Amino acid sequence: MHSYILRRLAFGAIAVVGVSIVVFVVLRILPGDPLIAIFGPEGFTRLSDAERARYMADLGLSDPLPVQYLHWVQDIVRGNLGHSFFRSESVAEMVARRGPLTAEIALISVVLSWLVGIPVAVISALRPNSLGDNVARFLSILFLAVPGFWLGMLIVLGLLFVFGYRAPLASVSFIDDPWANLQIVIGPAIVLGLGQAAYIARMARSSLLEVIREDYIRTARAKGLNRRVVVALHALPNALLPVITLSGVLLGFVLAGSIPVERAFGTPGLGYTMALAVSERDVFVMQNLVFLYAVVFVVLNIAVDLVSAWLDPRIRYG
Amino acid sequence: MSTTVHDTALAQAQAASGAPPSPLRRIAGGLRWFARRSPMSAFWGVIAAAILTMAIAAPAIAPYDPLKSDFRAMTKPPSERHYFGSDQIGRDTLSRVIHGSRASLTVAVGAVVLGTTLGAFWGLACGYFGGRFDIISQRIIEFMQSFPDLILAMAIAMALGAGMGTVIVAIAITRIPFGGRVIRAVVLSLKELAYVEAARGLGASHLRIMAQHILPQCVAPYLILATTHLGVAIIIEASLGFLGVGIPPPTPTWGNMLADSLNAGLVPPWWLVLFPGAAITLTVLAFNLLGDGIRDVLDPRLRGAV
Repeated sequence: MHSYILRRLAFGAIAVVGVSIVVFVVLRILPGDPLIAIFGPEGFTRLSDAERARYMADLGLSDPLPVQYLHWVQDIVRGNLGHSFFRSESVAEMVARRGPLTAEIALISVVLSWLVGIPVAVISALRPNSLGDNVARFLSILFLAVPGFWLGMLIVLGLLFVFGYRAPLASVSFIDDPWANLQIVIGPAIVLGLGQAAYIARMARSSLLEVIREDYIRTARAKGLNRRVVVALHALPNALLPVITLSGVLLGFVLAGSIPVERAFGTPGLGYTMALAVSERDVFVMQNLVFLYAVVFVVLNIAVDLVSAWLDPRIRYG
Repeated sequence: MSTTVHDTALAQAQAASGAPPSPLRRIAGGLRWFARRSPMSAFWGVIAAAILTMAIAAPAIAPYDPLKSDFRAMTKPPSERHYFGSDQIGRDTLSRVIHGSRASLTVAVGAVVLGTTLGAFWGLACGYFGGRFDIISQRIIEFMQSFPDLILAMAIAMALGAGMGTVIVAIAITRIPFGGRVIRAVVLSLKELAYVEAARGLGASHLRIMAQHILPQCVAPYLILATTHLGVAIIIEASLGFLGVGIPPPTPTWGNMLADSLNAGLVPPWWLVLFPGAAITLTVLAFNLLGDGIRDVLDPRLRGAV
């Protein structure tokens, strides 16, 4: 186990370095002048050459690229995530203030996806091709096709029309005012949770169907154990292993999905910040946030691998 | 097996007509066979074809010019004149939804074909040559997959600047790993087969073995992969448009329309939200179910992989 953990951590460290290079390459080296991004194509043409050079030097963009990269890495190691072009708040402050909301959304949505996805999968797998199974499968296919942000807009509109209700817009932490905080968080969490539940239900169903066919299940049934007990205690734990892996991967995708979804709900979380940074072409904020997200994904992937290795000796020794 | 059923059906058709069937009739026969095998997917295939037709014939079908604003009909709910209502500068929503299908489908098809093809060739090389090249490639693919597609596409689209080409490239890059993985797995299993070995024994070059013996077997997985990924590509395109890094306005795309609706006042009018989103959902649903059907008919073994 120890060597497995060490190997995963080493790979994770390499992955973080690789990811930082990818982010840097994508956002800094690809064609497209950052000044055009900042000032817009019209504003850019109005700048004189001297001004352009001065801005580039101010932003540290006239250094050679490897030097720029090293500066950036240095800043990150010192915990300095840079500033937005358009707001005075530093990226680190933004993350500290808005990050918790998004983390909350992600966690609640994962819990929801299990609460919805697993029972649906069990019902489907116990009676494959029954009416319930077909309805469940159609719903999961439907939810894979519905864009989350659109569902979010519909929910906001529906609540407004039917109940005249709108979630509070100002950010509130859970400790200060749990009720207001929950109202902000619950909408995006439900939308993202249902989207994941569709994947979870699909995966859990096929995994359960596979496990149910195995010999030890037949043995348990032959001993005279009740069908429900066999499914709940014998089949489900084994069937959930791939679902745990999937859920970890999906958690990463939820963080990405929360960008348009938070925009749709107007949730003051990190996803909204990212949506804003993208639409404003705020290259430095994007670069740091994308990197931050990428590190979170790498950590999540490692965590998932370690958890599944802990749960399943076949992975540990395989 | 499925192919033999198809072949016998073809052979019977040939025997009955007494002449080799024309390509058109062969395609029609294939489609009929597909419809019998999997009627649900055929139904969704028809819807997908209808959406495709709508995209191609958009100017003929749309009742109004999607870009022309009518200041007498600003932010009007659905009515006799504008079935889907009109937006804040009086553009007809129905026409914009119809024209929006062009952008969505062009981007989706372009991105999936580009990305999956690049990925497929990469996977072919990895699977065929193996060794260090394969190991390094697999690590790179793992990196690419550890980024959620949306964030990667967003960053690339933002860096490259707005435009249809950019969006296609951005989404295509996120599709490469999938093509790479699936085709590599197919090639790995093909490589060991006796007929490939025989070709090698006869002294065929690597290029010849790949092109003549392995590539044709990759066509079915490639097709399946491409159709199933169209839906994802459409959703990413819409999300990019929604976030303002897609195809720049005034070009009507479904994502742009949804983003626009947020600017139409404090509360977005429901018809500006409902119709573009419904168009996205219906299109993605159609392509996903068609893809599932094609997969089940052509190669059910790929059920878990794609």
